[in-house]
Amino acid sequence: MKKKLLSLLLALCLAFSLAACGSSDSTSGTSDSDTSTATDAEASVAAEEDSTSGAVDGTIMLGMIGPMTGSLAVYGTHVANGVNLAIDQISAAGGVTVGDATYGLAVESKDDQGDSTEFLNAMNALISDGIELVIGSATSGCTSSITSVSNSEGVVLVTPSGTADALTTEMDYVFRTCFKDSFQGELAAQYAADEGYTKVGIVYCSADTYSAGLRDAFAAAAEELGLEIVAEESVATMTEVDYTNQFTKMVEAEAELVFVPFYYDVTGPYLVPQARSVGFDGILLGADGVDNTETTIPDGADMSVYNDFLFVNHYSTELATSDISISFVESYEEVYGETPNNFDALGYDAVLVLKQAIESCGAFDADSVQAALADTSVVYEVSTGTFSFDDTGTPIKTGVLMGYSYTEGDDAVTKIAVTTLSLD
Amino acid sequence: MRKNETRTRYLVNFIAVVLLFVLSLVMSNAGGDTLKLKVVPSIWQCCYLIIMAASLNLVLGFLGQLSLGHCGFMAVGAYTAALLSLAFQRAGFYDEKSGPAFLLVLLLSTLVAGILAALMGLLVGIPALRLKGDYLAIITLGFGMIIVNVINNLPFCGQQGLGQGSASSALYATGLGFSNDEKVQYLWVAVLVVILCMTAMLLFVRSKYGRAIRAIRDNEIAASTSGINVSYYKVLTFTISAFFAGVTGALYSCCNAALATTSFAFTNGSILNSVFIVVMVVVGGMGSMTGSVIAAVTLFLLNYTIKNGAWVSALPAFLQNVFTYPMLVYSIVLIIVILFRPRGIMGSREFALCDVPKWPGRIKAWLTSRSGEKEASSHE
Repeated sequence: MKKKLLSLLLALCLAFSLAACGSSDSTSGTSDSDTSTATDAEASVAAEEDSTSGAVDGTIMLGMIGPMTGSLAVYGTHVANGVNLAIDQISAAGGVTVGDATYGLAVESKDDQGDSTEFLNAMNALISDGIELVIGSATSGCTSSITSVSNSEGVVLVTPSGTADALTTEMDYVFRTCFKDSFQGELAAQYAADEGYTKVGIVYCSADTYSAGLRDAFAAAAEELGLEIVAEESVATMTEVDYTNQFTKMVEAEAELVFVPFYYDVTGPYLVPQARSVGFDGILLGADGVDNTETTIPDGADMSVYNDFLFVNHYSTELATSDISISFVESYEEVYGETPNNFDALGYDAVLVLKQAIESCGAFDADSVQAALADTSVVYEVSTGTFSFDDTGTPIKTGVLMGYSYTEGDDAVTKIAVTTLSLD
Repeated sequence: MRKNETRTRYLVNFIAVVLLFVLSLVMSNAGGDTLKLKVVPSIWQCCYLIIMAASLNLVLGFLGQLSLGHCGFMAVGAYTAALLSLAFQRAGFYDEKSGPAFLLVLLLSTLVAGILAALMGLLVGIPALRLKGDYLAIITLGFGMIIVNVINNLPFCGQQGLGQGSASSALYATGLGFSNDEKVQYLWVAVLVVILCMTAMLLFVRSKYGRAIRAIRDNEIAASTSGINVSYYKVLTFTISAFFAGVTGALYSCCNAALATTSFAFTNGSILNSVFIVVMVVVGGMGSMTGSVIAAVTLFLLNYTIKNGAWVSALPAFLQNVFTYPMLVYSIVLIIVILFRPRGIMGSREFALCDVPKWPGRIKAWLTSRSGEKEASSHE
């Protein structure tokens, strides 16, 4: 009996120590449910401050769902950072003006662990709490399972980074603040053509909405632009750890540039080093999922392999020129002590877009906001650029080309912004 | 006397089950947002987890063979049912999700899902069940991974079909996928399927077949010398288990409306994966059908309330950190159960309503036997 209690105690110790590690991680990223309560508190504080001047008449609750834990946690926590920053700033600036009244903003956040069933549960829970404006989820796979619920229940869903084309095909309750995959794929293909490459290869995952969608768009655009696709290889899952066979084929086919639509969790530790190890020395071109790769490069890895690893992205702090994006970068660095990435910016923009829609229609129920967002003539000026929605609820905007550059002197890779991309 | 008692027991259980079904019918016609958004989707998820755990229990608990690819059979069932319903809809057999034509499609796709999964089970089972122990686990693990990759690469279901957003919305709009309202409307279907499947499985383990497979579990050599055809019974049980997993797949595609093969993987972030189903069976008790039901519902509720319940935010901050990582909580639950009830919550007993009055006596006896053990060990 004593032995049993002892082992139970040890098990609990282990769990708590792990949780403690986790929490110290999350203080740097300010994620979790704590944040939502913190923001609630801050929002209500802000509300109180304003109510002394007699301005705030209530609080508008937004919902946010994203992968806060699990293998894609970086996405969820960064979207949450952006959303929380936007809400804090709006509250500090006096809230949202709805007609004659002023409202504060607050967010209730939930974790979907990157799983569609969990996302569905979280969405239903938010709806039953009476929340009609939801920001989520960070990945296309999760978001695709929920778009129909959001339409049938009449809840506005703004996905900050769900890029799959099929997420929003007509003007209904689903919107996004990022571009879509076919556009991203076209940008990538056009970059390859502009740079004069003729032989390109593709390594992708046929099972994944994001990866397969990008591959389709890239292949179609490449064909149109006269690029020759010399080899095309698929892997089984997005978490595959071995890419050597695929890249051996790329080398045999003499591809000069290989398109790799994967997420950051495999590109850093596996894909890029393995591609170089089998002798592929051309350009590796990814998409927005590659951002944050620097966080997954293993300690002691050969940094030079990451040279010539480029990716299409939504946004770059270096290429930002408008006032709003400069002020976003400054305030983000002030609050979180690090440079924002595109998930921060897109989450931030989702809140700004919702705020502008609420103010323009003078109401915050789902139907009015949907009608306001559905107006394609409205121009939104947000941190990732100036855009208006097309007739499916997808922004018409430009992309940027970013990449990793290796400097021999200090044996390190740095993330650089190469150029702004737009379709001719 | 003995025969009479059995008859009363069956009668009591029958009445309880009928009451349960009537309750689901009542709920189908009731309104209310909490019911629609929280209660009913939870019941649907419980339903498929219950059959999943119970059907694995046939192989793991009663036959004593470790299968690590159970979600593979579920994937076969889910994709079969989804594609079949879409095919019927495109052929113009039904337009909207109501009426006898749709119910017929629902029934047909559920059955075909089960049968196809059973065929897969047969195909895997014939070579695999000649092996024992770890080797069977490895083969079933391989099967689970193979089936996921096959589905991914079939042009009509993985790549261009249900895997991608547009077609999963199609499943929702026109196929089996139920919206929240339809989940309420068809709640009775889910409950009926669970009742039928559980009854069938319980009758199976109580029959001579059930006695035979338990004999194989306890001692394979003794069973075969007593004239039991070991290979036949093994393959039969494996096939039946796969059939019910396929039926579960059909329920899953009704409930979730978007299919992605990651949901049927060996492990993933949620509680539906091959490993977690094994955990459910172990927690509930290997060899107890009702134990599997209890474990499936308990673990589902634990997962659901950690994410969506209010009680977590009422806890002190250091405890909340544990609940930010639900997987830690499940492992603690598993450790506690294994430490204090090594044979699972129910062991190999079955829950029976008629036994409830006898519980106080049993618990007392259990406690005295424990303290007796303690004294005995302290005397040593």
